[in-house]
Amino acid sequence: MVNIIEHEFPSELKYLQTHEWVRIQDNIATVGITDFAQHQLGDIVYVELPEIGMAFDKGSNVAEIESVKAVGELIMPLSGKILEVNTDLADNPESVNSSPYGSGWMVKIELSNKNEINELLSVEAYQEIVEAEKA
Amino acid sequence: MDLIIDLKKTPFYDIHLKLGAKMVDFAGFSMPVQYESIIKEHEAVRSKAGIFDVSHMGEFLLEGSDVIDFLQYIMINDLKLLEQSKGQYSCMCYENGTVVDDLVYYEEANDRFRMIVNAGNIEKDFQWLNEHIRGKDVKITNLSSKRSRLAFQGPKSDEYLQPLVDIDLSVINRFYFAHCKLGGMPIFIARTGYTGERGFEISFDNEYAVKIWSELIKAGASPAGLGARDSLRLEATYSLYGHEINDSITPVEAGLFWLVKPKEGVDYIGKNVLLKQKTEGTDRIIVGLNLKDRGIIRDGFKIIKNGNEIGYVTSGGYSPTLKKTIGLGLIKKQFKEEGTEIEIEVRNKLLKGVVVSTPFYRNV
Repeated sequence: MVNIIEHEFPSELKYLQTHEWVRIQDNIATVGITDFAQHQLGDIVYVELPEIGMAFDKGSNVAEIESVKAVGELIMPLSGKILEVNTDLADNPESVNSSPYGSGWMVKIELSNKNEINELLSVEAYQEIVEAEKA
Repeated sequence: MDLIIDLKKTPFYDIHLKLGAKMVDFAGFSMPVQYESIIKEHEAVRSKAGIFDVSHMGEFLLEGSDVIDFLQYIMINDLKLLEQSKGQYSCMCYENGTVVDDLVYYEEANDRFRMIVNAGNIEKDFQWLNEHIRGKDVKITNLSSKRSRLAFQGPKSDEYLQPLVDIDLSVINRFYFAHCKLGGMPIFIARTGYTGERGFEISFDNEYAVKIWSELIKAGASPAGLGARDSLRLEATYSLYGHEINDSITPVEAGLFWLVKPKEGVDYIGKNVLLKQKTEGTDRIIVGLNLKDRGIIRDGFKIIKNGNEIGYVTSGGYSPTLKKTIGLGLIKKQFKEEGTEIEIEVRNKLLKGVVVSTPFYRNV
Protein backbone atom coordinates (compact mmCIF):
# COMPACT_ATOMS: atom_id res chain seq x y z
CA MET A 1 0.00 0.00 0.00
CA VAL A 2 1.52 3.28 -1.07
CA ASN A 3 1.19 6.37 1.08
CA ILE A 4 -1.30 8.72 -0.64
CA ILE A 5 0.02 12.27 -0.76
CA GLU A 6 -2.51 15.10 -0.63
CA HIS A 7 -1.49 17.81 -3.08
CA GLU A 8 -2.78 21.35 -3.02
CA PHE A 9 -4.34 22.90 -6.15
CA PRO A 10 -5.88 26.36 -5.61
CA SER A 11 -9.23 26.57 -7.38
CA GLU A 12 -8.83 30.16 -8.58
CA LEU A 13 -5.85 29.22 -10.77
CA LYS A 14 -5.70 27.74 -14.26
CA TYR A 15 -3.45 24.84 -15.16
CA LEU A 16 -1.50 23.10 -17.91
CA GLN A 17 -1.21 19.34 -18.25
CA THR A 18 2.57 19.83 -18.08
CA HIS A 19 2.02 20.91 -14.44
CA GLU A 20 2.27 24.69 -14.65
CA TRP A 21 -0.24 26.95 -12.86
CA VAL A 22 -1.36 30.38 -14.10
CA ARG A 23 -2.81 33.35 -12.19
CA ILE A 24 -4.39 35.89 -14.53
CA GLN A 25 -4.95 39.53 -13.63
CA ASP A 26 -6.12 41.68 -16.61
CA ASN A 27 -3.37 41.30 -19.19
CA ILE A 28 -0.73 39.82 -16.88
CA ALA A 29 -0.21 36.15 -16.11
CA THR A 30 1.93 34.83 -13.25
CA VAL A 31 3.31 31.32 -13.81
CA GLY A 32 4.88 28.64 -11.67
CA ILE A 33 4.88 24.85 -11.23
CA THR A 34 2.25 22.99 -9.22
CA ASP A 35 2.56 21.21 -5.88
CA PHE A 36 2.51 17.92 -7.77
CA ALA A 37 5.41 18.99 -10.01
CA GLN A 38 7.58 20.23 -7.11
CA HIS A 39 6.99 16.95 -5.32
CA GLN A 40 7.92 14.93 -8.40
CA LEU A 41 11.11 16.92 -8.93
CA GLY A 42 12.23 16.93 -5.30
CA ASP A 43 14.46 19.59 -3.67
CA ILE A 44 14.88 22.44 -6.19
CA VAL A 45 18.47 23.71 -6.19
CA TYR A 46 18.59 26.06 -9.19
CA VAL A 47 16.17 27.80 -11.53
CA GLU A 48 17.36 29.30 -14.83
CA LEU A 49 14.91 32.09 -15.65
CA PRO A 50 14.47 33.88 -19.01
CA GLU A 51 15.54 37.43 -19.74
CA ILE A 52 13.03 40.21 -19.22
CA GLY A 53 11.62 41.48 -22.51
CA MET A 54 11.91 38.20 -24.40
CA ALA A 55 8.81 37.04 -26.25
CA PHE A 56 7.72 33.41 -26.36
CA ASP A 57 4.88 31.47 -27.95
CA LYS A 58 2.59 29.29 -25.88
CA GLY A 59 4.22 25.88 -25.55
CA SER A 60 7.87 26.96 -25.60
CA ASN A 61 10.39 26.14 -22.83
CA VAL A 62 11.15 29.31 -20.89
CA ALA A 63 12.91 28.14 -17.76
CA GLU A 64 14.95 25.19 -16.52
CA ILE A 65 14.17 23.93 -13.05
CA GLU A 66 16.94 21.84 -11.54
CA SER A 67 16.39 19.57 -8.56
CA VAL A 68 18.97 17.38 -6.83
CA LYS A 69 18.15 14.46 -9.08
CA ALA A 70 16.35 15.87 -12.13
CA VAL A 71 15.81 18.75 -14.55
CA GLY A 72 12.34 20.03 -15.40
CA GLU A 73 11.17 22.68 -17.86
CA LEU A 74 8.72 25.52 -17.43
CA ILE A 75 6.40 25.64 -20.46
CA MET A 76 4.78 28.95 -21.45
CA PRO A 77 1.04 28.48 -20.84
CA LEU A 78 0.19 31.54 -22.92
CA SER A 79 1.99 33.59 -25.58
CA GLY A 80 3.53 36.86 -24.50
CA LYS A 81 6.51 38.87 -23.31
CA ILE A 82 8.42 38.30 -20.06
CA LEU A 83 7.66 41.28 -17.77
CA GLU A 84 9.25 40.10 -14.57
CA VAL A 85 11.09 37.06 -13.18
CA ASN A 86 11.36 35.93 -9.56
CA THR A 87 14.93 36.93 -8.71
CA ASP A 88 14.49 35.60 -5.12
CA LEU A 89 14.80 32.09 -6.54
CA ALA A 90 18.52 32.68 -7.08
CA ASP A 91 19.11 32.60 -3.31
CA ASN A 92 16.04 30.64 -2.29
CA PRO A 93 15.26 27.99 -4.92
CA GLU A 94 13.64 25.90 -2.16
CA SER A 95 10.66 28.33 -2.20
CA VAL A 96 9.47 26.39 -5.23
CA ASN A 97 9.05 23.36 -2.95
CA SER A 98 7.70 25.12 0.14
CA SER A 99 5.46 27.68 -1.59
CA PRO A 100 4.91 26.69 -5.24
CA TYR A 101 1.93 29.08 -5.68
CA GLY A 102 3.32 31.94 -3.58
CA SER A 103 6.98 32.88 -3.14
CA GLY A 104 7.94 30.08 -5.57
CA TRP A 105 6.39 31.87 -8.60
CA MET A 106 8.67 31.99 -11.61
CA VAL A 107 7.68 34.47 -14.36
CA LYS A 108 5.15 37.21 -15.10
CA ILE A 109 3.99 37.52 -18.71
CA GLU A 110 2.31 40.34 -20.61
CA LEU A 111 -0.20 38.40 -22.73
CA SER A 112 -0.32 38.81 -26.50
CA ASN A 113 -3.36 36.62 -27.17
CA LYS A 114 -5.99 36.48 -24.44
CA ASN A 115 -8.03 33.94 -26.43
CA GLU A 116 -5.49 31.31 -25.40
CA ILE A 117 -6.84 31.52 -21.83
CA ASN A 118 -9.77 29.33 -22.92
CA GLU A 119 -7.37 26.49 -23.67
CA LEU A 120 -6.12 26.33 -20.06
CA LEU A 121 -7.37 23.64 -17.70
CA SER A 122 -9.66 24.22 -14.73
CA VAL A 123 -8.56 22.86 -11.38
CA GLU A 124 -10.95 19.89 -11.78
CA ALA A 125 -9.56 18.94 -15.19
CA TYR A 126 -6.00 19.27 -13.90
CA GLN A 127 -6.77 17.16 -10.83
CA GLU A 128 -7.98 14.37 -13.11
CA ILE A 129 -4.70 14.47 -15.00
CA VAL A 130 -2.75 14.23 -11.75
CA GLU A 131 -4.85 11.26 -10.57
CA ALA A 132 -4.18 9.51 -13.86
CA GLU A 133 -0.43 10.11 -13.54
CA LYS A 134 -0.35 8.80 -9.99
CA ALA A 135 -2.19 5.58 -10.89
CA MET B 1 2.83 -1.76 -15.54
CA ASP B 2 3.67 -2.30 -11.89
CA LEU B 3 7.46 -2.17 -11.82
CA ILE B 4 7.60 -3.10 -8.12
CA ILE B 5 6.60 -6.72 -8.82
CA ASP B 6 9.83 -7.30 -10.72
CA LEU B 7 12.15 -5.68 -8.19
CA LYS B 8 13.71 -7.31 -5.16
CA LYS B 9 12.77 -5.98 -1.74
CA THR B 10 14.86 -5.58 1.38
CA PRO B 11 13.38 -6.47 4.80
CA PHE B 12 12.79 -2.71 5.30
CA TYR B 13 10.59 -2.31 2.21
CA ASP B 14 7.29 -1.97 4.09
CA ILE B 15 8.85 0.55 6.45
CA HIS B 16 9.97 2.67 3.50
CA LEU B 17 6.49 2.63 2.00
CA LYS B 18 4.87 3.49 5.30
CA LEU B 19 7.20 6.49 5.61
CA GLY B 20 6.10 7.66 2.17
CA ALA B 21 9.50 7.11 0.54
CA LYS B 22 9.96 7.72 -3.17
CA MET B 23 11.11 4.29 -4.38
CA VAL B 24 13.42 3.64 -7.33
CA ASP B 25 15.06 0.67 -9.00
CA PHE B 26 18.63 0.39 -7.77
CA ALA B 27 20.58 -2.69 -8.85
CA GLY B 28 17.31 -4.58 -9.22
CA PHE B 29 16.05 -3.62 -5.75
CA SER B 30 13.19 -1.29 -4.91
CA MET B 31 15.04 1.26 -2.77
CA PRO B 32 14.12 4.59 -1.15
CA VAL B 33 15.75 7.55 -2.93
CA GLN B 34 14.25 9.95 -0.38
CA TYR B 35 11.65 10.04 2.39
CA GLU B 36 10.88 13.73 2.59
CA SER B 37 13.76 15.67 1.10
CA ILE B 38 17.24 14.67 -0.02
CA ILE B 39 18.64 17.93 1.34
CA LYS B 40 16.95 17.56 4.75
CA GLU B 41 18.16 13.96 5.06
CA HIS B 42 21.69 15.01 4.04
CA GLU B 43 21.66 17.80 6.66
CA ALA B 44 20.35 15.42 9.35
CA VAL B 45 23.35 13.13 8.76
CA ARG B 46 25.78 16.07 8.94
CA SER B 47 24.20 17.44 12.14
CA LYS B 48 22.85 14.44 14.06
CA ALA B 49 22.52 10.89 12.67
CA GLY B 50 20.78 9.16 9.82
CA ILE B 51 20.08 5.53 9.01
CA PHE B 52 20.35 4.09 5.53
CA ASP B 53 18.97 0.77 4.36
CA VAL B 54 21.93 -0.76 2.53
CA SER B 55 20.61 -4.32 2.52
CA HIS B 56 20.83 -4.40 -1.24
CA MET B 57 24.63 -4.59 -0.94
CA GLY B 58 26.41 -7.93 -1.06
CA GLU B 59 27.88 -9.82 1.87
CA PHE B 60 30.19 -12.83 1.49
CA LEU B 61 31.92 -15.04 4.03
CA LEU B 62 35.34 -16.38 2.99
CA GLU B 63 36.65 -19.32 5.01
CA GLY B 64 39.65 -21.62 4.78
CA SER B 65 43.33 -21.83 5.60
CA ASP B 66 44.32 -20.13 2.31
CA VAL B 67 42.00 -17.11 2.55
CA ILE B 68 44.76 -14.57 3.25
CA ASP B 69 46.98 -15.86 0.41
CA PHE B 70 43.92 -15.85 -1.85
CA LEU B 71 43.00 -12.26 -0.99
CA GLN B 72 46.61 -11.12 -1.40
CA TYR B 73 46.40 -12.34 -4.99
CA ILE B 74 42.96 -10.83 -5.71
CA MET B 75 43.26 -7.49 -3.89
CA ILE B 76 45.54 -4.55 -4.67
CA ASN B 77 45.78 -3.53 -1.00
CA ASP B 78 48.11 -5.38 1.37
CA LEU B 79 46.63 -7.72 3.96
CA LYS B 80 49.89 -7.53 5.92
CA LEU B 81 48.52 -4.16 7.06
CA LEU B 82 45.38 -5.85 8.36
CA GLU B 83 44.81 -7.56 11.71
CA GLN B 84 42.04 -9.44 13.44
CA SER B 85 39.00 -7.25 14.22
CA LYS B 86 39.99 -4.76 11.52
CA GLY B 87 38.62 -4.05 8.05
CA GLN B 88 40.40 -2.90 4.91
CA TYR B 89 39.14 -1.00 1.87
CA SER B 90 40.45 -2.22 -1.48
CA CYS B 91 39.77 -2.67 -5.14
CA MET B 92 40.00 -5.93 -6.98
CA CYS B 93 41.26 -5.36 -10.50
CA TYR B 94 41.55 -6.98 -13.90
CA GLU B 95 44.98 -7.68 -15.44
CA ASN B 96 44.84 -4.31 -17.18
CA GLY B 97 44.40 -2.54 -13.83
CA THR B 98 40.78 -1.49 -14.33
CA VAL B 99 38.36 -2.25 -11.51
CA VAL B 100 36.14 -5.28 -10.91
CA ASP B 101 34.73 -3.69 -7.72
CA ASP B 102 35.70 -1.66 -4.68
CA LEU B 103 34.84 -3.23 -1.36
CA VAL B 104 35.73 -3.71 2.30
CA TYR B 105 36.76 -7.00 3.92
CA TYR B 106 36.97 -7.65 7.64
CA GLU B 107 39.39 -10.11 9.28
CA GLU B 108 37.37 -12.09 11.80
CA ALA B 109 40.11 -14.74 12.03
CA ASN B 110 43.02 -15.60 9.76
CA ASP B 111 40.80 -18.22 8.14
CA ARG B 112 37.54 -16.27 8.19
CA PHE B 113 36.80 -12.96 6.42
CA ARG B 114 33.56 -11.03 5.91
CA MET B 115 33.33 -9.01 2.70
CA ILE B 116 30.84 -6.26 1.75
CA VAL B 117 30.49 -5.52 -1.99
CA ASN B 118 28.46 -3.16 -4.18
CA ALA B 119 24.85 -4.13 -4.90
CA GLY B 120 25.28 -3.94 -8.67
CA ASN B 121 28.28 -6.28 -8.62
CA ILE B 122 27.17 -9.13 -6.33
CA GLU B 123 26.94 -11.83 -9.01
CA LYS B 124 30.00 -10.59 -10.90
CA ASP B 125 32.12 -10.46 -7.72
CA PHE B 126 30.99 -13.87 -6.48
CA GLN B 127 31.91 -15.39 -9.83
CA TRP B 128 35.24 -13.50 -10.03
CA LEU B 129 36.27 -14.68 -6.57
CA ASN B 130 35.24 -18.30 -7.17
CA GLU B 131 37.00 -18.43 -10.55
CA HIS B 132 40.28 -17.58 -8.87
CA ILE B 133 40.21 -20.11 -6.02
CA ARG B 134 41.97 -22.66 -8.23
CA GLY B 135 42.53 -25.40 -5.72
CA LYS B 136 43.26 -23.20 -2.72
CA ASP B 137 41.52 -23.97 0.56
CA VAL B 138 38.91 -21.22 0.29
CA LYS B 139 35.13 -21.52 0.57
CA ILE B 140 32.91 -18.54 -0.25
CA THR B 141 29.35 -18.26 1.04
CA ASN B 142 26.97 -15.62 -0.32
CA LEU B 143 25.04 -14.18 2.64
CA SER B 144 23.63 -11.22 0.70
CA SER B 145 19.96 -12.19 0.85
CA LYS B 146 20.18 -13.78 4.32
CA ARG B 147 21.37 -10.72 6.16
CA SER B 148 20.28 -7.08 6.35
CA ARG B 149 22.52 -4.07 6.48
CA LEU B 150 22.12 -0.55 7.84
CA ALA B 151 24.51 2.40 7.80
CA PHE B 152 24.20 4.60 10.89
CA GLN B 153 26.07 7.84 10.25
CA GLY B 154 26.46 11.26 11.84
CA PRO B 155 28.27 13.19 14.61
CA LYS B 156 25.76 11.88 17.17
CA SER B 157 25.93 8.25 16.07
CA ASP B 158 28.13 7.14 19.00
CA GLU B 159 25.93 9.00 21.48
CA TYR B 160 22.71 7.50 20.11
CA LEU B 161 24.02 3.98 19.68
CA GLN B 162 25.96 3.46 22.92
CA PRO B 163 22.91 2.92 25.18
CA LEU B 164 21.62 0.23 22.83
CA VAL B 165 24.72 -1.99 22.64
CA ASP B 166 26.51 -4.21 25.16
CA ILE B 167 30.07 -3.11 24.29
CA ASP B 168 32.06 0.10 24.73
CA LEU B 169 31.93 1.71 21.28
CA SER B 170 34.78 4.10 22.11
CA VAL B 171 37.29 1.24 21.93
CA ILE B 172 36.35 0.50 18.31
CA ASN B 173 38.63 2.71 16.23
CA ARG B 174 38.00 3.64 12.62
CA PHE B 175 37.89 0.57 10.38
CA TYR B 176 37.74 -1.81 13.36
CA PHE B 177 34.71 -3.99 14.02
CA ALA B 178 33.08 -6.18 16.65
CA HIS B 179 30.30 -8.69 17.17
CA CYS B 180 27.95 -7.57 19.91
CA LYS B 181 24.27 -7.24 20.86
CA LEU B 182 21.98 -4.36 19.98
CA GLY B 183 18.84 -4.46 22.12
CA GLY B 184 19.72 -8.08 22.80
CA MET B 185 20.01 -8.95 19.10
CA PRO B 186 23.35 -10.16 17.63
CA ILE B 187 24.98 -7.76 15.17
CA PHE B 188 28.24 -7.23 13.31
CA ILE B 189 29.26 -3.59 13.73
CA ALA B 190 32.12 -1.78 11.99
CA ARG B 191 33.26 1.80 12.38
CA THR B 192 33.23 2.46 8.65
CA GLY B 193 31.11 4.62 6.41
CA TYR B 194 30.50 6.33 3.13
CA THR B 195 29.32 9.76 4.26
CA GLY B 196 32.40 11.57 5.57
CA GLU B 197 30.91 11.60 9.10
CA ARG B 198 31.67 9.39 12.08
CA GLY B 199 29.42 6.38 12.08
CA PHE B 200 28.92 2.67 11.80
CA GLU B 201 27.83 0.01 9.35
CA ILE B 202 25.99 -2.92 10.84
CA SER B 203 24.80 -6.25 9.53
CA PHE B 204 22.52 -8.83 11.12
CA ASP B 205 20.19 -11.68 10.24
CA ASN B 206 16.99 -10.65 8.46
CA GLU B 207 14.75 -11.69 11.36
CA TYR B 208 16.03 -8.74 13.46
CA ALA B 209 15.70 -6.11 10.76
CA VAL B 210 12.44 -4.38 11.71
CA LYS B 211 13.23 -4.36 15.43
CA ILE B 212 16.71 -2.96 14.96
CA TRP B 213 15.40 -0.18 12.68
CA SER B 214 12.84 0.73 15.30
CA GLU B 215 15.47 0.84 18.08
CA LEU B 216 17.69 3.16 16.02
CA ILE B 217 14.80 5.50 15.19
CA LYS B 218 13.80 5.66 18.86
CA ALA B 219 17.40 6.51 19.72
CA GLY B 220 17.13 9.65 17.56
CA ALA B 221 18.30 8.75 14.06
CA SER B 222 16.28 9.78 11.04
CA PRO B 223 15.77 7.72 7.87
CA ALA B 224 17.95 8.76 4.94
CA GLY B 225 17.65 7.53 1.37
CA LEU B 226 19.99 6.81 -1.52
CA GLY B 227 19.74 10.39 -2.78
CA ALA B 228 21.32 11.70 0.42
CA ARG B 229 23.79 8.80 0.42
CA ASP B 230 25.01 10.00 -2.96
CA SER B 231 25.23 13.71 -2.08
CA LEU B 232 27.04 12.86 1.16
CA ARG B 233 29.64 10.61 -0.49
CA LEU B 234 30.19 13.16 -3.25
CA GLU B 235 30.96 15.89 -0.70
CA ALA B 236 33.32 13.45 1.05
CA THR B 237 34.75 12.57 -2.38
CA TYR B 238 34.38 8.80 -2.08
CA SER B 239 34.43 6.88 -5.36
CA LEU B 240 31.26 5.32 -6.67
CA TYR B 241 31.65 2.17 -8.78
CA GLY B 242 30.43 2.84 -12.28
CA HIS B 243 31.48 6.48 -12.00
CA GLU B 244 35.01 7.15 -10.67
CA ILE B 245 36.04 3.51 -11.00
CA ASN B 246 34.80 0.88 -13.42
CA ASP B 247 36.09 -1.62 -15.94
CA SER B 248 37.74 1.15 -17.97
CA ILE B 249 39.19 3.32 -15.17
CA THR B 250 42.04 2.21 -12.88
CA PRO B 251 42.36 3.08 -9.18
CA VAL B 252 45.42 5.24 -9.98
CA GLU B 253 43.44 7.26 -12.52
CA ALA B 254 40.71 7.61 -9.90
CA GLY B 255 43.12 9.06 -7.37
CA LEU B 256 43.16 5.87 -5.27
CA PHE B 257 46.88 5.39 -5.90
CA TRP B 258 47.39 4.79 -2.16
CA LEU B 259 45.46 1.52 -2.46
CA VAL B 260 48.06 0.15 -4.87
CA LYS B 261 50.63 -1.53 -2.65
CA PRO B 262 54.09 -2.82 -3.65
CA LYS B 263 53.50 -6.20 -1.92
CA GLU B 264 57.01 -7.39 -2.66
CA GLY B 265 57.29 -11.07 -3.41
CA VAL B 266 53.52 -11.33 -3.79
CA ASP B 267 51.91 -11.38 -7.19
CA TYR B 268 48.44 -9.84 -7.54
CA ILE B 269 46.11 -9.29 -10.49
CA GLY B 270 46.93 -5.96 -12.11
CA LYS B 271 50.19 -5.47 -10.14
CA ASN B 272 52.48 -4.65 -13.08
CA VAL B 273 50.14 -2.16 -14.74
CA LEU B 274 49.18 -0.46 -11.48
CA LEU B 275 52.69 -0.11 -10.03
CA LYS B 276 53.83 1.32 -13.36
CA GLN B 277 50.94 3.83 -13.29
CA LYS B 278 51.82 4.73 -9.74
CA THR B 279 55.44 5.54 -10.57
CA GLU B 280 54.99 7.01 -14.06
CA GLY B 281 51.58 8.64 -13.68
CA THR B 282 48.56 8.23 -15.93
CA ASP B 283 47.31 10.14 -18.96
CA ARG B 284 44.03 10.93 -17.24
CA ILE B 285 43.09 11.65 -13.64
CA ILE B 286 39.98 12.35 -11.56
CA VAL B 287 39.75 15.93 -10.23
CA GLY B 288 37.27 18.04 -8.29
CA LEU B 289 35.12 20.60 -10.14
CA ASN B 290 33.24 23.76 -9.32
CA LEU B 291 31.26 26.08 -11.59
CA LYS B 292 31.86 29.79 -11.87
CA ASP B 293 28.72 30.39 -13.92
CA ARG B 294 25.36 29.43 -12.38
CA GLY B 295 24.05 25.95 -12.96
CA ILE B 296 24.38 22.33 -11.80
CA ILE B 297 27.15 19.91 -12.76
CA ARG B 298 25.78 16.48 -13.68
CA ASP B 299 27.19 13.05 -14.61
CA GLY B 300 28.31 12.66 -18.20
CA PHE B 301 28.69 16.36 -19.06
CA LYS B 302 31.70 17.03 -21.31
CA ILE B 303 34.64 19.05 -19.99
CA ILE B 304 36.09 21.47 -22.55
CA LYS B 305 39.32 23.51 -22.69
CA ASN B 306 40.06 25.90 -25.55
CA GLY B 307 37.41 24.30 -27.71
CA ASN B 308 38.68 20.74 -27.17
CA GLU B 309 37.05 17.98 -25.17
CA ILE B 310 39.48 17.11 -22.35
CA GLY B 311 37.30 14.83 -20.27
CA TYR B 312 33.86 14.27 -18.74
CA VAL B 313 32.02 14.55 -15.43
CA THR B 314 32.00 11.23 -13.53
CA SER B 315 29.75 12.48 -10.72
CA GLY B 316 27.97 15.80 -10.26
CA GLY B 317 25.33 17.35 -8.11
CA TYR B 318 24.42 19.86 -5.44
CA SER B 319 26.29 20.14 -2.14
CA PRO B 320 23.89 21.11 0.68
CA THR B 321 26.86 21.73 3.00
CA LEU B 322 28.72 24.06 0.62
CA LYS B 323 25.47 25.34 -0.91
CA LYS B 324 26.75 25.06 -4.44
CA THR B 325 27.23 22.56 -7.22
CA ILE B 326 30.21 20.19 -7.04
CA GLY B 327 31.50 17.43 -9.25
CA LEU B 328 34.27 15.00 -10.06
CA GLY B 329 35.60 14.57 -13.57
CA LEU B 330 38.09 12.41 -15.45
CA ILE B 331 40.36 14.74 -17.42
CA LYS B 332 43.65 14.75 -19.29
CA LYS B 333 46.44 15.07 -16.75
CA GLN B 334 47.91 18.30 -18.12
CA PHE B 335 44.84 20.16 -16.82
CA LYS B 336 44.73 18.67 -13.33
CA GLU B 337 46.22 21.61 -11.39
CA GLU B 338 43.95 23.31 -8.88
CA GLY B 339 42.69 26.57 -10.36
CA THR B 340 42.79 25.43 -13.99
CA GLU B 341 39.91 27.09 -15.79
CA ILE B 342 37.73 24.79 -17.84
CA GLU B 343 34.27 24.76 -19.34
CA ILE B 344 31.52 22.25 -18.74
CA GLU B 345 28.94 21.55 -21.44
CA VAL B 346 25.59 21.76 -19.67
CA ARG B 347 22.96 20.67 -22.20
CA ASN B 348 23.28 23.33 -24.93
CA LYS B 349 25.54 25.79 -23.08
CA LEU B 350 29.18 26.03 -22.09
CA LEU B 351 29.47 27.08 -18.45
CA LYS B 352 32.72 28.35 -16.93
CA GLY B 353 34.20 26.08 -14.30
CA VAL B 354 37.42 25.41 -12.44
CA VAL B 355 39.45 22.46 -11.15
CA VAL B 356 39.43 22.39 -7.35
CA SER B 357 41.12 20.30 -4.68
CA THR B 358 39.28 17.55 -2.86
CA PRO B 359 37.82 16.28 -0.61
CA PHE B 360 35.03 18.86 -0.54
CA TYR B 361 34.18 17.85 3.04
CA ARG B 362 35.33 15.36 5.70
CA ASN B 363 34.43 15.07 9.39
CA VAL B 364 35.53 11.58 10.32
